[in-house]
Amino acid sequence: MSIQNKIRLKFSLVVFLAIVSIVVAYPKTVGFMSPIFDFVNKAQINLGLDLQGGYRLEYEVDTSKIDENKKEEAVQAAQDVLERKVNATGTSEALIQAVAGNPPRIIIEYPGAKSAEDLKDLIKETPYLEFKEEKTEEEQKAEKEKFNEMLAPSNETSRKSAIDTLQKIKDGGDFVALAKEFNQDPGSKDTDGVLDFMKKGDLVPQFDEVLFNGNLKNGEFYPELVETDFGWHIIKKLEEKGEENNKEIKAQHILFSKQTADAYQDYWIWKETELTGKNLKDTAVVFTDQGVSEPQVQLKFDDEGAKLFAEITKRNMGKKVAIYLDNEIISAPVVQAEITAGEAVITGNFTVDEAKELKRRLNEGALPVPIKLVSQQSVGASLGKASLEKSLKAGVAGLAIVGIFMILYYRFFGFIATIALFIYSAMMISIFKLSGVVSDWPITLTLSGIAGFILSIGMAVDANVLIFERIKEELRDGRGLESAINEGFRRAWPSIRDGNYSTILTSMILIWMGTGFVKGFAVILTIGVALSMFTAIILVRIILQFVIGDWIAKRLWLVIRTDSKKK
Amino acid sequence: MINIIGKRKYAYIFSGTLTVLSIFVLFFWGLKLGIDFKGGTLMEVQFVQDEVASETVPAENATPKENKEAPKEFHVPSREDVENKIKDIGLESLNVQESKDNVIVLKYLGSEENINEKVVEKLNEFDGKVELLRVDFIGSSISKQLKQNAIGALILAVIGIALYIAWSFRKISYPMASWQYGISAVIALAHDIVITLGVFVVLGKFFNIEVEASFIAALLTILGYSINDTIVVYDRIRENLTKSSKKEDFEVIVNKSILETMARSINTVMTVIIVLITIVLFGGDSIKYFSLAILIGVGFGAYSSVFVASALLVSNYNIEYKKKN
Repeated sequence: MSIQNKIRLKFSLVVFLAIVSIVVAYPKTVGFMSPIFDFVNKAQINLGLDLQGGYRLEYEVDTSKIDENKKEEAVQAAQDVLERKVNATGTSEALIQAVAGNPPRIIIEYPGAKSAEDLKDLIKETPYLEFKEEKTEEEQKAEKEKFNEMLAPSNETSRKSAIDTLQKIKDGGDFVALAKEFNQDPGSKDTDGVLDFMKKGDLVPQFDEVLFNGNLKNGEFYPELVETDFGWHIIKKLEEKGEENNKEIKAQHILFSKQTADAYQDYWIWKETELTGKNLKDTAVVFTDQGVSEPQVQLKFDDEGAKLFAEITKRNMGKKVAIYLDNEIISAPVVQAEITAGEAVITGNFTVDEAKELKRRLNEGALPVPIKLVSQQSVGASLGKASLEKSLKAGVAGLAIVGIFMILYYRFFGFIATIALFIYSAMMISIFKLSGVVSDWPITLTLSGIAGFILSIGMAVDANVLIFERIKEELRDGRGLESAINEGFRRAWPSIRDGNYSTILTSMILIWMGTGFVKGFAVILTIGVALSMFTAIILVRIILQFVIGDWIAKRLWLVIRTDSKKK
Repeated sequence: MINIIGKRKYAYIFSGTLTVLSIFVLFFWGLKLGIDFKGGTLMEVQFVQDEVASETVPAENATPKENKEAPKEFHVPSREDVENKIKDIGLESLNVQESKDNVIVLKYLGSEENINEKVVEKLNEFDGKVELLRVDFIGSSISKQLKQNAIGALILAVIGIALYIAWSFRKISYPMASWQYGISAVIALAHDIVITLGVFVVLGKFFNIEVEASFIAALLTILGYSINDTIVVYDRIRENLTKSSKKEDFEVIVNKSILETMARSINTVMTVIIVLITIVLFGGDSIKYFSLAILIGVGFGAYSSVFVASALLVSNYNIEYKKKN
């Protein structure tokens, strides 16, 4: 093949590529040929949520309490529950995916006009049901000690404050005012620590002892702190009536309370079992005694659940098993017998309505693990559309001004570069559209992606600027046009390569490290920079080779300011 | 021939002052971090007239004049109204802004999901309907991760760029060692980044503009793009060094190289600046400040490739030359 024919062939390929790209990018160009239009119009850009409206909810799954080998299963079960919830809102096209990690996450994405709030409410009321059993006695003892140790510092503070207050009273401080300030006894809070007339034996022993055997006169206070299970008391006798066994005493006290592990029993006696909401098959509201008694919620387990429940009841005979709903204990019955039927009831002082509500929530799916919303992006469809329009406007304006700039500055060459820039833009849009058709990795175009695209338009002509400046230099040095062009392309290449490599390098880091906005930007910028090397160098060169000839050599002003050549 | 390098003293004063000021504000005021890094919510709500409510405006309570207008107008809460309404919730660093079309933009810190519900509940107490145009909520675990990723990305980018520079300048060795080129280029890059940071500290301080994850992307883009200008100038210096007779002064060669590449330096940056300006002017809010950051960085990058990176080469050369003689 002669060189001329080779050039012609290459140029035809460029024209073909340009036409295909433009038709794919903007199908309306073939609007008059409806079969082709329909075919091409099928490929659409996969717009991100920020451009078409929609939401993305990210939930963190707390698997910290689950055995390593059961984690995956729990996440899967949670995902199933969420899927049911999503379908219940009539948004079946939503995408739900679990992302492994520590902690694992479940992401729900829905492109469309629906609000995320309904789904969030629905998910929020998803019950988290667990069954817990008592720890062994040794474990409980150890836990209790741990709790007491934890409480010790605050108890010490309380005791010190009691000592200080007693000293103040001894120094003549006002008992009533101090009682007002410090008394922590909830029973006598409103009376500033004044207790009504009490008989011997009505009070805790230590208190009793001081009042009845402490030889206090009316209006006198006991000069020591009195320690009881409640804490440290400062006691003052107010008056007495009656004699001997009928003696009643009215007193006032200031309590500095003490906290004991017993008050927090629920926090340390229970341990998790494997039985959770995931094993629930069905629930019902039942009444014992033909509806006279309070309603109960009956739980029916699946086979695995029935087996687990049988094991739990067997090993906890005579002990309590707690049913936790949303991290709160709702009932803790004592096990009377091993239950193999796979059924349990929750009795929790429900009203009929509450029982029905709980039944509904449980039937819609209970979570096997707690989940927490950790991020949300939701964009109304109208706002998305406005963003798309705004950014398209910016893109068109950018493209136009860059084109005008290039033509004004580089004249004929600038014109060719602008054509290449248009082909570049059409090819980019075609890639966005076709990525989902020809591969499993559709490119999602987000707002930041458009920013990356627009920026890449500015960068795409960099290579042309480098080449054209070089060609101009070579022309000034007295080379012929054709040879100047060849030399220009050859010599500008190292700079173009170096420049684009560094941009691709940083974009790659962004893709690797980034999420959301950052990733969207970097992916498009990387594709853009890579593609623009092709259009700005290869396409421009082929076009130039085809169109350059004697006609332009005679009209060098189209390429370069001719007066500068004279110099 | 214009002597650019000869006037480097002024550039040093200019760049030095800006860099010192930037570092100063960075340490004393610090960047204003947004919800991406701190966890929090951005909520854009629109108050729309509730049709049912407007029809049932009690006529007897309204004066005739008001009555006429009542069906058409409803009271759109102002910024102050919204602030007063939700101040009881105790939101951390709450920022309320009014936008056109009865749109209010709320921004606050807090990584608990139910805060958002409380806010929406309060907003619903106003006349009319509240439409959530946009909700961006970032929980603390996500923001922590973003912060880690951002720091990781920056470290990686700096290492990557340093390796890249070492590789790019491996062939240049006369009359300065190749690492001298590398160091001058890195100083120029640091200069661009520090000044961009400084500008955003000031924007944060006086205009409440917060820095989000996108800002890190902008910084990395600046790193990747600005090094190009320097490489092109250095490339030309290398070319002119090999062409020139050794008698020619280094300073003259550098100056010549700068002038020869000036048109292309200005034009490449110009095209990028053009598109960035169009984004700043026409693009939405979320990409506006992102583009502005790149704009500032790339602009200073073009300047620093000549007035910092190349000028430093000459200064270093002169110091070494004096030592030898």
